[in-house]
Amino acid sequence: MEPNMIKITNLEKFYRTEEVETIALNKLSMEVKKGEFVAIMGPSGCGKSTLLNILGMLDDPDNGSYLFNDIEVAHFNERKRADLRKHNIGFVFQSFNLIDELTVFENVELPLIYTGVPTAERKKRVEAVLDKMQIMHRRNHYPQQLSGGQQQRVAISRAVVNNPKLILADEPTGNLDSSNGNEVMELLTDLNEQGTTIVMVTHSEHDARYSHRIIRLLDGQTVLENIMI
Amino acid sequence: MLKNYFKIGWPNLRRNKAYAGISIVGLALGIACGILIFTLISYHLSFDNFHKNPDRIFRFYTEWDDQGVSKSVGLPQPFGKTFRNDYSLGEKTARIIDFHQSLITIHEGNQVKKFREENGVAFTEPEFFDIMNYPLIKGDKKSVLQQPNEALITETAAIKFFGNTNVIGKVFRLDNKLNFTITGLLKDLPDNTDRNQNIYVSYSSLDDFTNKKRESNWQGVYSGSQAYTLLKASVSVNQAEAALASIVKKVYKGRDLKVWHFHLQPLNDIHFNPELNGFADKKYLWALFFIGVFLILTACVNFVNLATAQALNRAKEVGIRKVLGSLPFQLFWQFIAETAIITLFAVVISIVLAALTLPLLNDLFESQMTFQWLPLGIFIVGISILVVFLSGSYPGLVLARFQPILALKSKLSQKHIGGFSLRRILIVTQFSIAQLLIIGAIIVVSQLHYSQNSDLGFNKQAVVLLPVPDNNKAKLQTMLNQLNQVPGVTSTSLCYQAPASQSNNTTGLVYDNRAEEEHWGVNTKNGDQNYLKTFGLKLVAGRNLNPADTATEFLVNETFAKKLNLKSADVIGKMLAINGKTTKAPIVGVVKDFYTYSFHEEIDAICIMSDYRGFSTCAIKMNMKNASTALASFEKIWNNTFPQELYSYAFFDDNIKKFYELDNILLKLVEGFALIAIFISCLGLYGMVSFMAVRKTKEIGVRKVLGAGIQSILWLFGKEFCRLLLIAFGIAAPLAWLTMNNYLQGFKYRITIGPEIFLMAIAITFIITTITVGYRAIRAALDNPVRSLRSE
Repeated sequence: MEPNMIKITNLEKFYRTEEVETIALNKLSMEVKKGEFVAIMGPSGCGKSTLLNILGMLDDPDNGSYLFNDIEVAHFNERKRADLRKHNIGFVFQSFNLIDELTVFENVELPLIYTGVPTAERKKRVEAVLDKMQIMHRRNHYPQQLSGGQQQRVAISRAVVNNPKLILADEPTGNLDSSNGNEVMELLTDLNEQGTTIVMVTHSEHDARYSHRIIRLLDGQTVLENIMI
Repeated sequence: MLKNYFKIGWPNLRRNKAYAGISIVGLALGIACGILIFTLISYHLSFDNFHKNPDRIFRFYTEWDDQGVSKSVGLPQPFGKTFRNDYSLGEKTARIIDFHQSLITIHEGNQVKKFREENGVAFTEPEFFDIMNYPLIKGDKKSVLQQPNEALITETAAIKFFGNTNVIGKVFRLDNKLNFTITGLLKDLPDNTDRNQNIYVSYSSLDDFTNKKRESNWQGVYSGSQAYTLLKASVSVNQAEAALASIVKKVYKGRDLKVWHFHLQPLNDIHFNPELNGFADKKYLWALFFIGVFLILTACVNFVNLATAQALNRAKEVGIRKVLGSLPFQLFWQFIAETAIITLFAVVISIVLAALTLPLLNDLFESQMTFQWLPLGIFIVGISILVVFLSGSYPGLVLARFQPILALKSKLSQKHIGGFSLRRILIVTQFSIAQLLIIGAIIVVSQLHYSQNSDLGFNKQAVVLLPVPDNNKAKLQTMLNQLNQVPGVTSTSLCYQAPASQSNNTTGLVYDNRAEEEHWGVNTKNGDQNYLKTFGLKLVAGRNLNPADTATEFLVNETFAKKLNLKSADVIGKMLAINGKTTKAPIVGVVKDFYTYSFHEEIDAICIMSDYRGFSTCAIKMNMKNASTALASFEKIWNNTFPQELYSYAFFDDNIKKFYELDNILLKLVEGFALIAIFISCLGLYGMVSFMAVRKTKEIGVRKVLGAGIQSILWLFGKEFCRLLLIAFGIAAPLAWLTMNNYLQGFKYRITIGPEIFLMAIAITFIITTITVGYRAIRAALDNPVRSLRSE
């Protein structure tokens, strides 16, 4: 039995405006084992993205516990979260979130700069990952010069260049046609098979089938878990 | 439609208070400066524009062309009369000679009242009032000042001296010498004239007053001795100039024929010509004009910057309007209407600001400027329309061009609202202007500091100057004895003027019995044997003067020897003749060079002699510890010595400060405008950084998700602004160097513009920028990335 990478217990998150308080996560508990590929599904507004943000330490919960590799991170301050995040977690977004002013190479290089990798080493690693993702020939292009599928491949390259233990993907195929989408899902599956844990938020049952397990959320609570065979 | 524009415009502004606020404050400041500068410039342009036939009125001036050209508004005394009597070119020609610091004494019953008239009196030929439009309220214009001992005074003077304006027939005594009977009451002279005397007396009393007969002296020129003419309508300036050349031929001989020249100065040049004592150099008025234009432009730049940055937020509104059938020009006018609302607010605030600041400006210039509402109104309306279109058109066009579908879906991006580079250019422009002004202010401050703190060659501290109105030797000796006994007094000296003074007498000289006069003049300083000690002047050769009543020995300065190409020691014992060889004596000592006037002027060749008849000042070197008791003693002693006179005193160092009055005014103006320019630029910067923060939200979010720290996010902003500032500095520095180098040329002794001045300027700008940008940038850096990425 693999140990837990993520264990959350009774997690709560509220959003308050002047008049209304919305419960985004309502005493949610769940676990993700090391090496697992988990899909999170549910209707719009059920708290999927909130959960992913908290898992990615971009946001902190209002209540409850979050153990990441057995370390309690729920109330880590911004600096500690950022530190843990940049060494352990890669992100893939629906809209790629590449920086328009930087080239493919520079976009992928960014996480390495922030973790203090020396220039020569950075070049080697960026080139290796671009090669693996088969977009080496586009290294000097800007994001807007690429197709959606290529942009997402760059985004995935950026997510994995630091060899993270966990990849969080927020509807990674949402902006892609089906053939590009399948290609991205194959990439994620490959990464998972090489040992990277993946948590993916998706609306697509088709994509969810690539995962080991589907967690379905409704109104901030787990309503169902399917184990994929 | 118009109503609809405003109906939408108003809530829009209320929703975006910060944006509207920054725009309004910026524009208000810019326009307020515009109003003040307009008032200032139109005030100066209005000088002496109220005379009849202003284009035919001229003042004569003298020009000497002898190893360099020098000019003076002063004329030989007979000049005006000669032009009037020997030529028929002038319809009216009048001489006027003014004396400053006059003492007016009035006897009313047993009571004696004394008044000091700073601006003094003018001995005036009656024709003067036919040329100039200074109307009489009482008295007969045809007969006033025709006889000796008559006087005209202004209403202000009448009320000052007599408490009312029923002054015809009343008598006052001038400088304890002559009585004058008032035969006319003048309407107060307007503020916008360069003539500032309140008392005009008969020219025919001049010789009695000065006790000198100068009606045929063509050699000496007193700067207060002037003449004006109203040329006949048929006479051209060239004809008149030819007549002036023929006067020279008539009265001068030999070398003088080449040296002396007379010319006409048009009335409208008098206020502006710095060479001829004009107050307002047009160069400076132009500089002010450009500063005004810059400030208004800077404020408009802010507006454009903020408005275009804002435009994205309004995409949806624009989309809906377009879908509903609004045409681009209607959207354009919608935006212009909003700009008009903002400008209207700004104009109202700016008028209030300008009205509040005008008294300060009047204090600074010692003027009485008021708002001339008609021209100012036209100016304000004009500038408002200009501002509305200058700042409203570009954002208006941008909004009007939005494509409806994209706008509705809020899918417009940066590229739809115009390049970032336009805003960069605007920011660079603003900062170039601000840095130009900062560098200017630093240089003026440095030069003034240098002027006032350098070794002047004499001691200016703790020296009190008292006037000497009467040269009775016994009286003066008694006074000196008494002054020397006052505790704290270390030395006293009788002299004509202090070493550095605005009053200087320059005369030709014959050195060592040479055949001809030298081609340069010597500035004569009259002072007794204690002059050196009291003012701390140092001897470099020979000895000090011996006590004497008349000029029996001379001291000269190093420049004197240098001009003769001699060493200081070589001139000792040589004979020196001055004042047309009337004064001749040996040189006994050489003093170290000292500054004879401000740093604007070169050090003159000097000779110092002791002549009782020429003393007009008593200098007292004292210990400042007991200054107030000592000053009280001085007053008592002086009043006992000169019971008929009015006591006054001055500190020497205060007099020296006055040499730089204009420079100080300039400094205050530059400082003020620099502060405003910086402030407006900061508003612009703040707008720009806010805009950048919004624009870079996604990028910052992504970078933070990837592990960027706060510093690296801050550097995203810092990098951009450092670059803009450096470019601005690159533009401002050479411009500032050129401008300020030109300004410094006005000083014969000046600082060099070193790198430290530029470093200081850029440091100041960087600090200000960091403060302005810092807050917004830090906020952006601390923002939760989730929020910025969620919108996707």
